[in-house]
Parts: sequence; C-alpha cells; structure tokens
Amino acid sequence: MTIDASPDISQGHPPLASSASNMGSLRCLAVHAVMVLLSILSIFPIYWMIVTSLRPENEIFSTAFWPASPTLENYVFVLTRIPMLQMLANTTIVAAATAALQVVTGLFAAYALVRWRMRLSGVIHGLIALSWLVPFQVTMIPNYVLASRLGLLDTLTGLILPNASHAFAVLLLYHAMRSFPTEILEAARIDGARSWKILWQIVTPNMGAPIASLSIIAFISAWNEYFWPLLLSRKPENSVVQIGLQMFMTQEGNLWGPLMAAAALASLPILLIYLILQRHVIESFMKSGIR
Amino acid sequence: MLRRTTLKLMATLAAASILPLGALAEMPKTIDKPVTISFYNYNLASAGIGSEATKELIAGFEKKFPNVKVETIAVPSNEIINRVQADIVAGKQPDVAQLTFRDLIFIASDLGGNALEDMVSPAELKEHLAGMIPKGLELGKVDGKTYGLAYTFSTPVLYYNGDLFKQAGLDPNNPPKTWADVNIAGKAIKEKTGKNGFFPGAYGPSDGTFVYQAIVMSNGGKVREGDKLTFADKDAAEAVKTMRDMVTSGAHAKIDPASGSDTFAAGNLGMFVYTTAVLGSYKKAAQGKFDLRIAPMPSFGEKPTAPTNSGSALFVFSRDPAKQRASYELLKYLTSKEAYTIITSKIGYLPLRLDIVDDPNYLGPWVKKNPMFRANLEQLNRLTPNMAFPGPNYRQVEKMMMDAVREAVFGNGDPIATLKAAQEQGQELMP
Repeated sequence: MTIDASPDISQGHPPLASSASNMGSLRCLAVHAVMVLLSILSIFPIYWMIVTSLRPENEIFSTAFWPASPTLENYVFVLTRIPMLQMLANTTIVAAATAALQVVTGLFAAYALVRWRMRLSGVIHGLIALSWLVPFQVTMIPNYVLASRLGLLDTLTGLILPNASHAFAVLLLYHAMRSFPTEILEAARIDGARSWKILWQIVTPNMGAPIASLSIIAFISAWNEYFWPLLLSRKPENSVVQIGLQMFMTQEGNLWGPLMAAAALASLPILLIYLILQRHVIESFMKSGIR
Repeated sequence: MLRRTTLKLMATLAAASILPLGALAEMPKTIDKPVTISFYNYNLASAGIGSEATKELIAGFEKKFPNVKVETIAVPSNEIINRVQADIVAGKQPDVAQLTFRDLIFIASDLGGNALEDMVSPAELKEHLAGMIPKGLELGKVDGKTYGLAYTFSTPVLYYNGDLFKQAGLDPNNPPKTWADVNIAGKAIKEKTGKNGFFPGAYGPSDGTFVYQAIVMSNGGKVREGDKLTFADKDAAEAVKTMRDMVTSGAHAKIDPASGSDTFAAGNLGMFVYTTAVLGSYKKAAQGKFDLRIAPMPSFGEKPTAPTNSGSALFVFSRDPAKQRASYELLKYLTSKEAYTIITSKIGYLPLRLDIVDDPNYLGPWVKKNPMFRANLEQLNRLTPNMAFPGPNYRQVEKMMMDAVREAVFGNGDPIATLKAAQEQGQELMP
C-alpha cells in the first residue's frame, strides 16, 4: 500500500512542493538582495571615508574606487598637526566616566523612586521626565558660568560633570527596576539588609541588561558630544576628538583628506564596540529608542 | 535656529553683565612687570596653515616682549563671538580677540570693545598706523573710531579653470572682465564641456556676506543706509537679478550653495568668485589636474568694482591698563611689516601695508614667485568696507537677507519681490 500510494503522492504533490519551494527561495533571495543592498548603502560611506583618507591631495575629488597612488600622508598630517592621540584618550575618559556616572546616579534615583513611594513621587518622576525636554542650549550659559566659577574650564572634569546624571538614565532604570519583585526586597529587609546592600547586592546584579544598554548608549552619546566641549575647551590638547574633526574645516578651505583620516581614527573605538558588543548595541537601541 | 536662540540669550546676558564703560584709564608706556593676556583666535582652532602661521607670530611676539605671556584660546570662527560673550558673562574678561567684521558694530556697541583712539595717545596711534592703507583702516571703524584693526582679510577674486576655458573655445589669457563676459563664458563652458560655468561663494552657510556685498556694491547698491535696509532697492536688487538671469541662461550653476568651493577644486566648475585665503588649497587640488588662474572680480559694465573684505580684525577688551598696554603691543606686532609678510606669504591674506609688497626684505621675493596674487593686491585700491548690521538682531537680519538672496537667485518667483518682502520683514528687527 505504501509502495502503491507513494507514486500518487509523488505524482500529485511534487509540482506544488517544488513551486512553494521555488517561491520560498525567490522570497529568500529577494530579502537577501534587499539586505545586501542596504548593507552596501550602510558600508559605502565608511569605505569612502577610508579610501578618501588614503588619497593624496590632488586626488581628493577623484571618483575612482581606489586611489591611483594610495598614501598614509593624511594620517601622518593628523597625528602631527593636532594632538589626535591625546584627544582620543580624553574622549575615551570623558565617555567612560560619563557612562559610569550616569549608571550610578541613575541607579540611585531609580531605587529611591521605586523603593520609597511618596505622595509627590509622580510629580518628581514627571519633573525628571520634563527635564529631558529642556534643550542643552538653555542650560549651557548657566553651566558655563558655574564651571568657570568652579575653575573647571578647559578640564575633563568640566566636560564630565554636567552630564553625570541624565533623565534618560533615571527613567530607563526606573522602569526596569519597577518590574523587580518586591517580595525579594521585603525578604532582604526582613533579613536585616539596608538599602545600600539591597541596591548593590540584590537589585543591581539582576539588572545587567538595562545597565548594559544604558552604558552603551551613554558612552556613544558622550563620544559624539560636540557643543559642550566646544564651549568649555580652550586648548586642543584638553579637548575631545569631535572638536579635533572640526579643526580640519578651516578658513583656508576644508582639508578633506586629513578630515577623513581623523574621522576614521575617531570612529575606530565605536566600530570596535559595535563589533564586540553587536548584539547588546542593537538590543539597546531597539529597547530604548535611538537618543 | 538653536544657534540663533543661543546668540540672543547670550547677547542679553552679555549686555546685562557689562558694566557701563567710562573713559579708559591711561595705560603705562612700557611693560615693566610680567603680565598675561588672553588672545581668542580662530586660526588656532584649525589644523591648517593659519594655525602654524599664528603660532609663529605669537612666538615672535613673546620673544620680543619676554614680560608678556599670551594665553591663547582656540575657538572656531563661527563660534568665537559666542565664546567671547560667554567669557564676559562668566567674568573672564578677554584681552584681545580675532573676530569677524560681521560682528563689528555689536562688538563696539554691546560687547565693550575698546576704541584704539580711547586707549592709545593720538601720537602713538598715528605712528603705528602710518604706512597702512587708509581704506584698510576704515574696515574696523564704527562712528569714526577704530574698534578693530584689520588682521587677516582678503577681497573676492575670480578663480578660473584655464583648461575648461580652452575646451570651451575661450582664451584663458583673456579672462572675463564684466558680468556680461561671465555670462558668455559660463554658457560656453556649460554647453561645450558639460561642466558648470560660474558660481559665486556667496550663498553658503559659512560664506558670510562679503562676496554678495561686493557684487551688490559693484553695481552701486548697498545692503543698508544707516538703520534702513536697502538690499531690495534698485541697484542692489538688479545685481541679484543679474545672478538670477545667469541661472536662467545656464551660465550660473545650480548646485548646493555650500559646495561651490569643492566643485571648483574638483575641476568641475569654470569660474568661482571667492577669497584668496583658499588659494593655497586650490593650488594643491589643481596640481597636475587643471590650470588654475586668477583674475580681479568682474564688473557691471564700466562701473568700477567694489571688492569688500572677508576675514577678521583684532579687537581689544582689556580693562586693566597694564594688560591694555600688552594687548596694544600684541596688536602692533600682529599688524607690523614682519607679521604681514608671514600672514600674506603663509596664509594668503592681504597685507595692510603696501610698502612691503615689493620690498626684498619682506614680501618682494614671495610676490615675484606668486604673480597670481597681484590680482588681489590690485583690488586694494578699490577696497570697500563690508557693512555689518547694527542692533542686537543683527545676525537674524543678515540671515533673512541671505535667505532672500538664495530664494531670489535660485527660486521661481520674482527676485525683486522676494527681496522686497525680506527687506520689509528685516526692517522690523533693525534698531
């Protein structure tokens, strides 16, 4: 029977199966073609940046896909004309410290809001959310005057401090912490644990994902910061890499080759973060929105 | 929008924080004790040749005046006025600043800049200004007083691509002299080579107004008369209409307003009107690629051209007499024969002292090697000060004017009506 039936099956279904399979393959091919196209669109500017950084000055505006005589002179120019390595180090310190401080202050604020329910909790939460809507330009001058009085002009501390806490960090951790089971917190308290211990030994170790998300977003955001360092820095060696990039757009014409070389150097750390923490970065942006 | 809001906020704060300025105390004749002065400079905020030349100048000054330490504050040119304001608000009184001419009136009336006539004795000032081009000295004057001493400045010239001229059947040794010539050459280049014919560096966000004002004033127009805006009046509007007509004829390129300079450097534009400050970078871009040439800016028929100035002047803000003396000595050094030799030969700006041009001890050998620069020097005879706008809304008025110019040149509506509408709106923001 089985033997008899099988020819029927093989006679009746193979065309359908084959057609469905072909359709599936075509769809898969189309999806992949679109993805390949999007990948090329995303990667091409990076490729063009690197190729331009390798062009000599009289080839800068060439549209060839590879320079006729590639050179590293733009990288040498960048490293000798501006304190690029110092700026990269400064940016790393500022971005890492800003991210760490935003996590710490965010944890404190979120824990306080979740743990101690007060009559004005909603108002405080609302005020924190509203502060997110205040553009930096509004607080820039008061911050600058304060930084000047504190002697923080032209210092890395001055670059870090105004961004040490951020409404986004508080709200992200607040919402993550709200879903933490209160029974565990109660049990810890009954066992005699104080808030400090509960926060660091019970809550924080269980918030790996939101803390990782926040750290990545805060780091990238601080890395790309331009306006505040522009106002606060007085010397290139005390400034950050985004200011360094601007230095190649001069009154005497834009230095595209060195600018692309500097941009390639400046984007390396962020590219490394993407390569190493690819999954976390994508999840961070998916969960938290792009700031 | 944000930058404008910021500027307004800072202007208000700065105006509120500056104390009423009385007559300046007399400054000492010499610098006997060590003194540190701040110098806000935009060339230092770049990695270009301007930065190297500035460092050389400051080192030369400190060597000559060992008692003076110059603390430099490097800020990009489009942000430097904001920084000076912010520091005044923060109580950090600047001493010397390199600022652009567009801010001239604001610096004199709202920011507390010192007039040299109020700070320096007439005899001493006369001694230093001797030998400087009188028209160059006019650039930094407000109500007859010198608030800014022209430092790095230039006038618009016509850069042109000799190879595109040849391909279009034009004679590169006979560059266009009038706008009618530019129209003919531009059309020929567009039709015969497929490349862009002509474009002025007048419409981009970082171009300021100097090329636009040079075109307008060459036709007898002005952007304002006192506090009355006149950029839509007959002569000024006709100058803009000439550009529009060239867009219609195909001679004037229709490209991104910010891309004119790069399009020319890439060899894709026949003619470009812009400052000589970019000559060095064009030379490098053109090397082995195309025949780079320079001519004076074109005229409207027989009318003489009125090349206006781009660039910056030096302003003194010091309140302390000892710092004023050190600041003035820095100004003197930076506008000396030695300094202008460096500024012109290493950066490409114009010298305020013409007696150094053919002097073998100063610019003589360099000018011989760079005959192209003569086109710019020749224009100094007709140098016309770029007009800054008065009042706290000066940047908004300037932006409204330039937006209208872009719309008049590239839009579809009536160019004169577009300019008139903007002029009426802008007038409400004038003092």
